[in-house]
Amino acid sequence: MVNIVNFILDMFVYVGIFGILSLSLNLEYGFTGLWNFGKVAFYMIGAYTSGILTTLGYPVYVGFAAGVVVSGLAGLMISLPALRLREDYLGILTLVFGEIIRIILKNEYWLGGPLGIRGIPSITPSGLDYTTALIIQLIAITIIAAICYFIANRIIHSPYGRVIRGIREDELATATLGKNTFRYKASIFSISSAMAGVAGAFMGQYVTSIAPDQFMPFISFTVWMMVMLGGFANIEGAFLGALIYISFERGARIAKDYLLLPIDPNNLMFILTGLLILIFVFFRPQGLLKENRVREHKGV
Amino acid sequence: MVDGLSLNIAQILFNSLLTGSLYVLAAIGLTLTYGILKFPNVAHAEFITFGAYIAYTVADIWKLGFEAGVLAAFVATGLLGVASHIFLFGPLIRKGASILHLTVASVGYGIVLRYAMQEIWGRKDLYYSAYYPGFDLGPIRVTPLWLSFIFLAVAIVAVFHLLLTKTKIGKAMRATSNNPSLAQASGIDTRKIILLVWFLGSALAGLGGVMKASDTRITPVLGWDILIMSFAAVIFGGVGSIYGTIFAGYTLGFVENLGVIGLVALKLSTEYRFLLGFLVLVFALIFAPQGIAGITFKSIRRRLSSSG
Repeated sequence: MVNIVNFILDMFVYVGIFGILSLSLNLEYGFTGLWNFGKVAFYMIGAYTSGILTTLGYPVYVGFAAGVVVSGLAGLMISLPALRLREDYLGILTLVFGEIIRIILKNEYWLGGPLGIRGIPSITPSGLDYTTALIIQLIAITIIAAICYFIANRIIHSPYGRVIRGIREDELATATLGKNTFRYKASIFSISSAMAGVAGAFMGQYVTSIAPDQFMPFISFTVWMMVMLGGFANIEGAFLGALIYISFERGARIAKDYLLLPIDPNNLMFILTGLLILIFVFFRPQGLLKENRVREHKGV
Repeated sequence: MVDGLSLNIAQILFNSLLTGSLYVLAAIGLTLTYGILKFPNVAHAEFITFGAYIAYTVADIWKLGFEAGVLAAFVATGLLGVASHIFLFGPLIRKGASILHLTVASVGYGIVLRYAMQEIWGRKDLYYSAYYPGFDLGPIRVTPLWLSFIFLAVAIVAVFHLLLTKTKIGKAMRATSNNPSLAQASGIDTRKIILLVWFLGSALAGLGGVMKASDTRITPVLGWDILIMSFAAVIFGGVGSIYGTIFAGYTLGFVENLGVIGLVALKLSTEYRFLLGFLVLVFALIFAPQGIAGITFKSIRRRLSSSG
């Protein structure tokens, strides 16, 4: 039986990582109305960029910064052709983009190949006991998540945030008001991708080895579930959704040690996850938290 | 294996026909439901897998023979599609769910199906025991299984064509696919037509699953490997267009097989052949988002005159 304290600390580290991912998807879909079914691509790009650089001996902060920049640029690059598409086509294109990146990483041996990258240096000094290391990791991810939260908060309460909501509600009308909607969409896509990049960079050093098969499209769908659970267009909801989903997953993992089920607990967990989504789609499609009203401009 | 075939044009064409048939079978259902109900059904991947498993159960566990397995896969997957509409997508649409919610629901539903299948049939790879030794047909290496699948796919395409053009129900299907509300206003019972579309589309996906599995193996992710290529066929062909999808499916099959040879020549991994399909999808999305069905003579002329 695993140490329960470590188990919980580890869980909260993942809540932080996935909270950032779900926050970034919420900026894209919740606030701007952009479908992105390839969130995992930017997570993967961040993890690989940082992982490769730090294993080559560059300091961790260089790796993180590069992960953020490369993911952000990748987001910008894909958005240039993709954002002119209809919403569902954008969804399919981003899904495919994730798979393209994964297949390339899997087949290019200088980028790690199918085994990926091992021995990524962690941010914690070596020689610490596991619990202390976990606490340091948790503090680090909390700081990163707080920065992302702060940025997202500033974005949605700024005039910029009102424009992206306008795009979500009626892109044509927003364009008629003289806003270059394409530029807004591309920039929000790029910012969100950069956030996913930092989440990936953090995850890489946390687990210390990454491989292409860790980045299946299922990850993108998981992030969608979190956004949906927490509530669309609600930045606190992004973290709430991540917390609920991951507790649910971990709870199932613990339960299998205690319960004697006639069904494989891993399968059961996924089936229940799928059912949870269906229940939400049916009975609470807007998620748990509602969108906050747009704050009046008070010179924040 | 590829080296020996590298310059055998006939074999390439044959293999393209085989791969293309698979994509056509897998994509027709997807394009029809996407066209009529406006959302991409991600759970379609699981319908493909379901067909493969049903055929395994009937052919190898109940020992009723491979042909019976194929038939059972067709019927059972078709019924699964109908049930999906009656119990899930239909009620959601009546509740006024948005396209995004339908898509997310199909993701959740797909997860339920996939892990339910994994629970029933296990995670281990399964193989059909039916074995058909290959033989040479002129310069081409074939197996009776491949031949019968190509024949089946072509026959289905022909039957679909007749159904769509010669029968009243086919006309109703095309009308519903083009414009559901107009079809309804013209007295077509679109509810029945939609159920029929779910049945036929899913049944073909099930057949596609058996086809893919008979050549490789049955795994819970079988459908996923085909899904993205099916989306490529659907979008390249134009969402909702059966003829476009058939053309796109065979084109993708050809591109993929020709691409393998190019990749070998360039000393790149043959797994990159999927990328070729993806690239077709990306180019189709960007340059012809209506698909080839949307490219008319008029639009080409307009584009030429506007650029020149």
